[in-house]
Amino acid sequence: MSAPPGPHARLAGGLLLWYGVLGGAVAWSVHALAAWSLSELACASGSERVAAVPLWEAVGLAVVIPGLAAVGSLLVAVLAWRRTTRARPAGGDSALGRSRMLAAVGIWSNLLFLTIIALGGVAVLVLPPCQR
Amino acid sequence: MSTTSTPSAGVGREDLERLAAHWEERPSLRAWLSTVDHKKIGRRYLVTAGFFFVLAGLSALVMRTQLGRPESGLVAPQEYNQLFSMHGTAMVFLFATPMLFGFGNFLVPLMIGSRDMAFPRLNAFGYWVFLFAGLFMWASLPFGAAPNNGWFGYVPLSDEQNNPGLHMDVYALGLLFLGISTTSGAINFIVTALKLRAPGMSLNRVPLFVWAIVATAFMVVFALPALNADNAMLFLDRRFGTHFFDPSHGGNVLLWQHLFWIFGHPDVYIIVMPALGIVSAVLPAFTRRGVVGYVLVVLAIVSISIISFGVWVHHMFATGLPQLSFSFFSAASTIITIPSGVQIFAWLATMLLGRLVLRVPLLFVIGFIVTFVLGGFTGAMFAVTAFDQQTTDTYFVVAHFHYVLIGGAVFPMLAGVYYWLPKITGRMYHEGLARWAFWLFFTGMHVTFFPMHLYGLFGMPRRVYTYPNIAGWAGWNLVSTIGSYLLALGVLLTIVGVVHTLRRGRPAPPDPWGGDTLEWSTASPPEPYNFPVLPRVHSLHPTWDARTAESTGPGASADRVLSGGRRTLLTSELDARQERAVAMPESTLKPLALAGALLLGFTALLLAWYPVAVVAALAVAATLAVWLWPPRLPEQEEVGP
Repeated sequence: MSAPPGPHARLAGGLLLWYGVLGGAVAWSVHALAAWSLSELACASGSERVAAVPLWEAVGLAVVIPGLAAVGSLLVAVLAWRRTTRARPAGGDSALGRSRMLAAVGIWSNLLFLTIIALGGVAVLVLPPCQR
Repeated sequence: MSTTSTPSAGVGREDLERLAAHWEERPSLRAWLSTVDHKKIGRRYLVTAGFFFVLAGLSALVMRTQLGRPESGLVAPQEYNQLFSMHGTAMVFLFATPMLFGFGNFLVPLMIGSRDMAFPRLNAFGYWVFLFAGLFMWASLPFGAAPNNGWFGYVPLSDEQNNPGLHMDVYALGLLFLGISTTSGAINFIVTALKLRAPGMSLNRVPLFVWAIVATAFMVVFALPALNADNAMLFLDRRFGTHFFDPSHGGNVLLWQHLFWIFGHPDVYIIVMPALGIVSAVLPAFTRRGVVGYVLVVLAIVSISIISFGVWVHHMFATGLPQLSFSFFSAASTIITIPSGVQIFAWLATMLLGRLVLRVPLLFVIGFIVTFVLGGFTGAMFAVTAFDQQTTDTYFVVAHFHYVLIGGAVFPMLAGVYYWLPKITGRMYHEGLARWAFWLFFTGMHVTFFPMHLYGLFGMPRRVYTYPNIAGWAGWNLVSTIGSYLLALGVLLTIVGVVHTLRRGRPAPPDPWGGDTLEWSTASPPEPYNFPVLPRVHSLHPTWDARTAESTGPGASADRVLSGGRRTLLTSELDARQERAVAMPESTLKPLALAGALLLGFTALLLAWYPVAVVAALAVAATLAVWLWPPRLPEQEEVGP
């Protein structure tokens, strides 16, 4: 029989855990779609501005904000991993085991998505927005 | 009829008789047409997809014969266009995905310890739609009306002005029709895997094959609407004069490509992912250990399924979009190699740390790793925009995607065929025949497709029906053609091997390989009700785990026997906590009737018989109403936690 997880394992379930698992993926999706469509639409219209904001800054924001969201997701995943490890009961509680696995998936996937966002950020620094 | 039987100690003779009475179907034409048994439907998917594979392969052989020498006149350009279009369309839509759905249909309920799919009637409907859609498309070829613009159907080459006739109407309607099957199948997989897992099979105990099928199903649900929208707009443009893709009236030609590749690149992984799941299922049996890094492999499956949605623009590097927008997709295209690599390294580590038993399924896995890695390398080359722009639309691309798709899907499928043949047929295959099939297939594959890298780099464009006698093209093309015949011989020997298994194979025991997943705890082939007692799972390798085996033994609780009707257990999504028993539907002809009405509707639309199409739509509505009419259900049995 497994011991109850206790207050430290609250991250083992609920929305926060899912933020830790999927936050990076969602952040990257937002980054890719926002940065791409800003660049596409502005350049197609022959302008290098989005409303009053220069395109470079606008695309930069589409990198930085999702990047921060992915960092937050990574931290949550690490926290969930540490707490589920500490709260690990002697018998194999399937709920806690499941949460530990999801936390591990979250850590690795957030690192992956953070890397893609960072590479997108490098492109913003290197390439002029509307060069073809 | 099973050749072996494993009556569980936890279930009495009376229960077994009641289970058999509820689940068995008497052999008759009506039973054959009305079955909703996931195993029979799975087998039908496998056979039908295999049949379409042979047709597509024969198309390829004609093409390779035509290209074997320069300026050959075996087929006319119009015929060649239809052959390569049907070859690609059939291989992607009518073979690869349905074949994997066939494996999924047969195996997912068995692997998760359930008695059927979540929606058995929807499952049967999906199969009939797949069969009819496949026949709908192939039937156009003898009439010279088959799709003739590649499997991607690029606009404006596919619009009414540039491509008159029925060709691209067959393509658009055929894929829309088929999409109904694929979507319904995907939803069924998701619900089955989330709600019908055996008690105790929490997310961290789900077999990797099931993870792969579920990830694929989610990808289908998100990706397919883009293709459906594309094809609906194409059909409306062609038939009813709308202007979605017509720039002269405010439409956009590139819209087709964006929507197509938003579907198309995830589709590569839709094809490859379940096949990779097969590899993860086969390896433990032939290495005598679980796959190394289970969590990492799950991570790879989940990551690939997400990142694959953000790489579609790498198919459009030559369309003149801004460099900055390319870079976001270039980054994703490069990074997706990491989770792909993680899986490869996990499998290599498993083989390194395990004790190898070199049977044919493992040979095909090794063949897969070699071929898929080579395809992956050239794929990473395409992520470099400059290289992509140089080689796009040459045979280098043809070489790359055949390495990825044959390497990443067909090799694992063949591994799966040989691995599960004893379970599916109840008989063992002939090892010698199977080894010959492997070596011919492996050699033929590389002899055919490796030279394509070379003449692609030498500048030979793809989709050409013939070519001038240019140094470097003619010789290597002949080598490719010889290879394609070796490849075909390998496929032929595989078919001979399967027929030999069915007719002369020796009876298979329940678990000939020592597999670690639940299907190996059933009879070969499984009883109609799959499990006499639904197991309670205690680990990632349930058949290697004594506690799981004990759960179906003398101490089995009655709430997991469920012999009082066609019933299976519902469990919670994340932790598979036991919830309640649910009634499963009986066999019915409604799925066949609905699919038939849809076939009539799509045929009428194709031939512009609009009054008939209206009648077919009414028939569809009526069949749906009858289908959905609430039945009188027996009172549902509550099962304690």
